[in-house]
Amino acid sequence: MTVSTDASTTKPADRSRLRPAARLETLLDAGSISPFAEDDGVVAVRGRVDGLPVMAFCSDATVMGGALGLRGARVIVEATGAAVDEGCPIVGLWHSGGAQLTAGVHSLHGAGEMFAAMTRASGRVLQLSVVLGPAAGAAAYGPALTDVVVLAEQGRIFVTGPEVVRSVTGERIDMASLGGPEAHGRRSGVAHIVAGSETDALDRARRIIGLVQRPRRPHAISSAPARDPGVHLPSRPQRAYDVRPVIRDLLDAPDEPTGFEEFQSAWAPNITIGLGRLTGQTVGVVANNPLRKGGCLDSASAEKAARFVRMCDAFGVPLVVLVDVPGYLPGVDQEWNGVVRRGAKLLHAFAEATVPRVTVVLRKAYGGAYIAMNARSLGATAVFAWPQAEVAVMGPEAAVKVLHRKALAAAPADRYDDLLAELTARQVHEAGGMQRAIELGAVDKVVEPSHTRAAIASVLRTAAARQGEHGNIPL
Amino acid sequence: MTPVRDITVRAEADLVAQVLEVRVVAGQPVAAGDELVLLESMKMEIPVLAERAATVAEVAVAAGAAVQPGDLLVLLRER
Repeated sequence: MTVSTDASTTKPADRSRLRPAARLETLLDAGSISPFAEDDGVVAVRGRVDGLPVMAFCSDATVMGGALGLRGARVIVEATGAAVDEGCPIVGLWHSGGAQLTAGVHSLHGAGEMFAAMTRASGRVLQLSVVLGPAAGAAAYGPALTDVVVLAEQGRIFVTGPEVVRSVTGERIDMASLGGPEAHGRRSGVAHIVAGSETDALDRARRIIGLVQRPRRPHAISSAPARDPGVHLPSRPQRAYDVRPVIRDLLDAPDEPTGFEEFQSAWAPNITIGLGRLTGQTVGVVANNPLRKGGCLDSASAEKAARFVRMCDAFGVPLVVLVDVPGYLPGVDQEWNGVVRRGAKLLHAFAEATVPRVTVVLRKAYGGAYIAMNARSLGATAVFAWPQAEVAVMGPEAAVKVLHRKALAAAPADRYDDLLAELTARQVHEAGGMQRAIELGAVDKVVEPSHTRAAIASVLRTAAARQGEHGNIPL
Repeated sequence: MTPVRDITVRAEADLVAQVLEVRVVAGQPVAAGDELVLLESMKMEIPVLAERAATVAEVAVAAGAAVQPGDLLVLLRER
């Protein structure tokens, strides 16, 4: 769905609230802040989030609109380097018009040094960006190089602003439409989290830090809640459904909004990704969502999942993969858009991942998309299937139409439907049976929906904790 | 008094599909999660849902229609 509004709700903000000190105080635990460096409109500090040490920096929106010069960029370079040395996450709060025009090539040089520092830190420490106001040019690419981008209601991200766009292309658009929450939450996928107010955006950043940096809750939730995630599957197998209630029921705190921290919820929504906890252990969830595009994989969804898998692997977050996929989305547009190249990213991401990763086939897993959803052959730690699940090259009816093309063509018109049904039933029996997948070792066992949470928890408890040694390139 | 503003929301097809059923009529109020249209594609029945409470301003398709990604299905007015 797309939204257009006829009025802007922007009102002039109180300037004191735009100062880095105020913003960093909202982000960090009370009384935890100590200065690290400050120069040329950028402030960097040490502090804590929920007791965990972090580095944080903020551009000063009250000085030249937060424009970034060489010295300001070097504050970010120093802070990022220190975060890597100390092994703590780093959070950037952005409100910046981009490179300082008056500083010319100096500011471009600084931006480049900042990009290089962020890339050196990639995959080594968690880097979060919270975009609180306009973030243009260099201030757009800084956040884009980090692991998680949180966009506040007033945040705007773009390479070139509305005036340049208009002078070059003739397109008339305001800042909010060009680079606001709707643009980056739904159309571009640049923002992982679209937040409400500034406070909400900073809260979401805190929650993500807690999930990644505190992989086990001190008081783990050991007893599984009496939930049956299977109730969310429709009785008719061709009927689509929303996978998110299934995810919630498998995670801790299924009734709390914070139980599942979904990433990129409105972009490429045919795959659902996000962080949550399962018996106290942080997990990354990757799930096909049949409600959108039938849950088919396509270029954008494969890329979305691939980046998330690599982020989880880099930070040692185990993966839970829920599969209900009819295949890759067919189409000229998909092929020409690089579904082969972009789909390969997901194969690469899963095959490379060293964290424990558990796959559950909820309903069906067909063809190449079955493999891409963390099949055993790609190295899944465990593969479970729900009782009615199918694993096959394609759906039984489609397979019959290929395998028995001649027989079906020769059948009299009044016999066609009966023959198709008979051959399909035989195909289901012979090829689609879960028994064959279990004999091969592609599936470990069939589990009841209500036992799935316990089965996943048991794998995660016993699997060796590992983490990948690679950067998190913004795929 | 807070100014009232109308927001127009397009419920669009997100893949090539056939319209199986249209579940709403113009003028009808809908709640978040209500089914607007049922599509068929990839041998699946895929409902298109209202994201938020709204009123149906226009129904742009009929059962049996073939739709492409981006095609308007239902126009909604939120308040």
